[in-house]
Formats: sequence, C-alpha cells, structure tokens
Amino acid sequence: MTLLQAVVLALLQGVSELFPISSLGHTILVPAVLHWNNINRSDPTFLAFVVVLHLGTAVALIVFYRRQWAAIVRALVASVIRGKLSNDRDERIGWLLVVGTIPVGILGVILEQPVRALFGSPAPAAIFLAINGLVMFAGEALRRRQQVAEKRVDRPMQSLSFFQSVLIGFAQSFALLPGISRSGASMVAGLLCDLDHEDAAHFSFLLATPVIFAAALLEIPKLVAPDAHVVAVQAVIGGILAGIAAYLSVAFLTRYFKSNDLRPFGWYCLIVGVVCFVLSRMGVLS
Amino acid sequence: MKALAIVLAIVFFVLGLLYGMGTINVFTKSGTEHSHHMTHLVVCWVLALLCLIWYRFQSSAATR
Repeated sequence: MTLLQAVVLALLQGVSELFPISSLGHTILVPAVLHWNNINRSDPTFLAFVVVLHLGTAVALIVFYRRQWAAIVRALVASVIRGKLSNDRDERIGWLLVVGTIPVGILGVILEQPVRALFGSPAPAAIFLAINGLVMFAGEALRRRQQVAEKRVDRPMQSLSFFQSVLIGFAQSFALLPGISRSGASMVAGLLCDLDHEDAAHFSFLLATPVIFAAALLEIPKLVAPDAHVVAVQAVIGGILAGIAAYLSVAFLTRYFKSNDLRPFGWYCLIVGVVCFVLSRMGVLS
Repeated sequence: MKALAIVLAIVFFVLGLLYGMGTINVFTKSGTEHSHHMTHLVVCWVLALLCLIWYRFQSSAATR
C-alpha cells in the first residue's frame, strides 16, 4: 500500500464511518473503482492498518463527546454502587447505550465473519449501498406519516424506552452488511422512535462509540501479528487523519441535523450504489 | 427474575471460559484462531457482568 492510498483510505474511513453512507461499503467500492489491485482486504498488514484507522475514529468520537462520556460513566458507576436507577439524564442515556449495544455485540461476534465472506465484494456492497439509500427515504417518509397521521411529536433521547434502545441497537447491527450504514440504520430507527434528527444523530454517534472502540481494541493483536508488516509512517498518519476526519465529520453532522434530514445522503447512496453495481456488471470494477 | 439473572451470569461466564480455552468453536471463524476466541470470551464475560448488574438492581429493589 502506498502512502497516497493510506491517506485516501484514512480520510475515507474517518468521513464515511459517521456520515450515513457506510464506511465498509466505501472501503470495498473505492479501491475497486480506482483499480487498487495491490490492496488485499484479508492481508494481515491491511487488517492491522484498518485497526489503526478504527482506533483513530473511536478516539475522535470520545474526544468530541468527552464531557458527556465522563458524565455518563460517572452516572453509571454511581447507579451500580447505589443499586438503583434514578431520573438522572446522563444515567438514563448511559443505560440506554449499554442496552442498545448488546444486540450489535452479540450479532457482531456471531455474524461478522460469515457476512463479510458472503458479501465482501463490490457487487453486493453496491446493492446494499442502494438499499441503504432507499431505507433512508423510507425512514423519512414513515416519520412524516407518523407525525401527520398519528399526531406523534418529537421527544428527547432520554425518554426512549429500553426496548426502543434495543431496537435501535438491533438496527445498527445491519451495518455488518457492507453498504448498510451504521449511523444511517440507527438514525432511521431513532427517527421512527420519535427522536428528532438532531437527537437521532446524537444517540447514533454515542451508540457507535463503544462498538467502534471495542472492535478496534479487540483487534489490536492483529497489529502485532508476526506477518503484519505495518509501515509505521502509514499507520501513524492514517490513524491521525482518520481521527481528524471523523472529528470534523461529527462536528459538521451535529450542526447539519439541527435543520436537515437524511434525504441528501439517501440520494447519494442510491446513485453511487446503482452506478457501482452497473460498473461491476460491466466488468469495470476490479 | 433474580434467579434468571444469576443463572444467565453463570452461563455466560462458563461459555466465555470454554471459548477462552478453545473447548467450543461454535460461531468462530476457525477452531484454531486464538484471537477470535478471545473476542467471544470478552463478549461472554461482559454479558455475564451485565447480568450481575441486573441482579444487583433487582436485589436492592427487593430490600427497599
């Protein structure tokens, strides 16, 4: 892998992990479109590089929400010591995040390898990316219908029930499929649970943090695997760039979702997915 | 529900132990890849810990 490829992949990972456009789908499709045939996704060196990118992304998310995470951890520890749930907002959000992380934790260890083996090529990734776009359109349409026909109003994220948090966490699990976005799926689920766009994005980013961080931590042995010859310069630059890109992305998206919805990302995913699928059928993608 | 929490905690703890020792290979990529089994061990033990926390919440609710 060249330094230029490392820089492009790092920026791509940092941005696409948080934008609802699927980082996994993009890390399959972009090298295929650019004919980067020297990159083998199952090569230990590449896997170790990806671990560094994920660590950079997770650290960026933790730094961005550092005050909230500190308050959540303090509130969770206090409630366990007390042995009782209170009405504290941070404690409530903390337990919602714990409960919402369970589905993706279990399904991740069970399904990640077989799913990647089945769908880890450009054509399925392109199809799932188009489906991801349709899911976002459907989510927005259903939400509008709920608000108009059923007179449902937005509510704050701490008012979610534990069952709704499990549903949002379960939706997040669909991101195991390359092309389905973690933040897109969990945001759509959050919107259907009557969160507004800002809170749905906020909850989605908080929910993604422990998953991305834990997945990166558990993969750290790959960094020191005997056949993983990670070039230190590429790894360091890649990790830092992925972190910076992720930080800027979450800063942008938290502002964006104050007054905008998922439809522009839906159009992007639908168009890119269809184009990449056609290209793969034409044999243009490597 | 308290009994269920304790039973689940024990089940997850033992499952994690068995994955860690490589005794069971269900839902792993291969039967020999050590790091993958460690992932299963960690997830099982985290679930066991959550069951114990669930038990603690129920116990203190019962004593009030």
